[in-house]
Amino acid sequence: MIVASHLTRSFGSRVAVEDATFEVKAGEIFGLLGPNGAGKTTTLRMLAGLIAPTSGEAMVGGVRLSRATNDQVRARIGFLTEAPGLWDRLTVEQNLMTYAGLHLLPEPRRAVAAVLERFGLGERAGSLCAELSKGLKQRVALARALLHDPPVVLLDEPTSGLDPQSARLVRELIVDLRDRGHAVVLSTHNLYEAERIADRVGVLRGRFLAVASPAELRQRLFGSRALVRVAGDAGQFRDVVAAAGVRELDASGDTLRFAVDDLRVAMPTVVRALVAAGADVVEATTEDAGLEDVYFTLVEGRAGDSGGEA
Amino acid sequence: MNARRVVALLSKELAELMRNRAALLPVVAVAFTSMILPFFIGLAVPGMTGESLSSDSDLVQALAGAADELPGAMALSDEAAVQALVFHRFLTLLLLVPVTGAITFAGHSLVGEKLGRSLEPLLATPITTLELLVGKVAGALVPSLVVMLLTFGVYLAGVALLAEPGVAWVLVTPRTLLLVLGVGPLASLVALQVGVLVSARANDPRTAQQFGALLILPLTALFLGQMTGIVVLTIPLMLVVMAGLTAIWGVLLAVGIAVFDRETILTRWR
Repeated sequence: MIVASHLTRSFGSRVAVEDATFEVKAGEIFGLLGPNGAGKTTTLRMLAGLIAPTSGEAMVGGVRLSRATNDQVRARIGFLTEAPGLWDRLTVEQNLMTYAGLHLLPEPRRAVAAVLERFGLGERAGSLCAELSKGLKQRVALARALLHDPPVVLLDEPTSGLDPQSARLVRELIVDLRDRGHAVVLSTHNLYEAERIADRVGVLRGRFLAVASPAELRQRLFGSRALVRVAGDAGQFRDVVAAAGVRELDASGDTLRFAVDDLRVAMPTVVRALVAAGADVVEATTEDAGLEDVYFTLVEGRAGDSGGEA
Repeated sequence: MNARRVVALLSKELAELMRNRAALLPVVAVAFTSMILPFFIGLAVPGMTGESLSSDSDLVQALAGAADELPGAMALSDEAAVQALVFHRFLTLLLLVPVTGAITFAGHSLVGEKLGRSLEPLLATPITTLELLVGKVAGALVPSLVVMLLTFGVYLAGVALLAEPGVAWVLVTPRTLLLVLGVGPLASLVALQVGVLVSARANDPRTAQQFGALLILPLTALFLGQMTGIVVLTIPLMLVVMAGLTAIWGVLLAVGIAVFDRETILTRWR
């Protein structure tokens, strides 16, 4: 649904986005992660046909981005901007009706009624937008972005500044978009959010430092980590586990922690060795690094270029 | 250009204006001032001084030279004819109403969207630049013209009620209708286009308003020229003015489309 190839955008001498190459399929949530100024919003604006790339190209919703086709691209995307940007003096329904007209929907009232229902806004249709809470405004903005049922949805910090309950509701709506087959690009600072709902993430800092699923990134950067708890002091089994070929072994209290290349091969070997050595194994499980570890490793450059594959 | 998109934007502009009637205050103030001035000069001053207008030799002389301008006035009494001349010449001031409206509304059009952070979602729709500019201009033009026509109606009603009998009817001439229905809307359109054009490049509504206000100068000159008899607004002259205003509007619209750049607006406006 989105195919971006070597997208680059400069503002004067400053390169905001460099050589961004990625794809987003229908029914997929692609998370854009990165610090402020990393180029997330610029990337979204390029995909929305709002600003032109300096070089590179992209297909969005089946349309190749160019000055001549920007209007067509904009008809195929729903863009939730960083600020809800509602017309505060108008009601929720008036806001949506205006956008229904701008998108030339054949049955605007029906389309507006449908999104009001879908986003639980039916009772607030007549409320002035100025009177809405931030969470409700964000829901109205999301309803506005999806009014014309676009195949591609671009979301710029959709849960920023929302209370936990509103943020959770918005996340559920985003997951619902994926389930309905939309291609979703989600720009976020919220690593928990990206880990929870994004199928793949791109870590951006001017250029993509990595593009993969959160699990793949963890595997790529940290390998697989495991944890085995035994009855009694784990230290006495340290040599046994080390002999099984693990790395970064740590024995503390009743717990042994280690990294392996292939968990499916290593874990049974370790458990067999421990049992053979007389250990009572209480628990054997994986211990993955969080996306936060992955993110900081990439953004702070600790991984060098090892994760830069797109 | 798709009319549905323009209508959608126009409806939104009008709905916003209805929720913010205070924005109409400058226009109403100008309308009131431009209306009250001729009543003060034509009716209140003679009443206060006890001297009729027809005893003023300058006005009588001006009336004699205005036979073409106001043919119907010649059939009225001397006092009524001079009143007709005063009320007719002050009609030019009515042009300030739509122009003031244009300046007020256009100054806020795009800058207002930007300040309310509603511009980016709007620009992310398939609306074309032409549709956006036409919708924005129409959104300011319609209320300005409504206020001007209402003012004209009230003006005529006031003259019918307060001036000498027959004066109101004498004012309704092809020349007057051309002024109110032709020159007024076109002057407003030009002021609007200037305002929207500047609004697309400015960060502050005041900047847009200051540029739009430039159009008040030629209108004031026109009014003064008419009052002093230097300029006589004949129908051919008004047609020339209308043609000129139409040409200027066309150029401004073309320039507006050329300089309106979503990218610049989004990336330079902070």
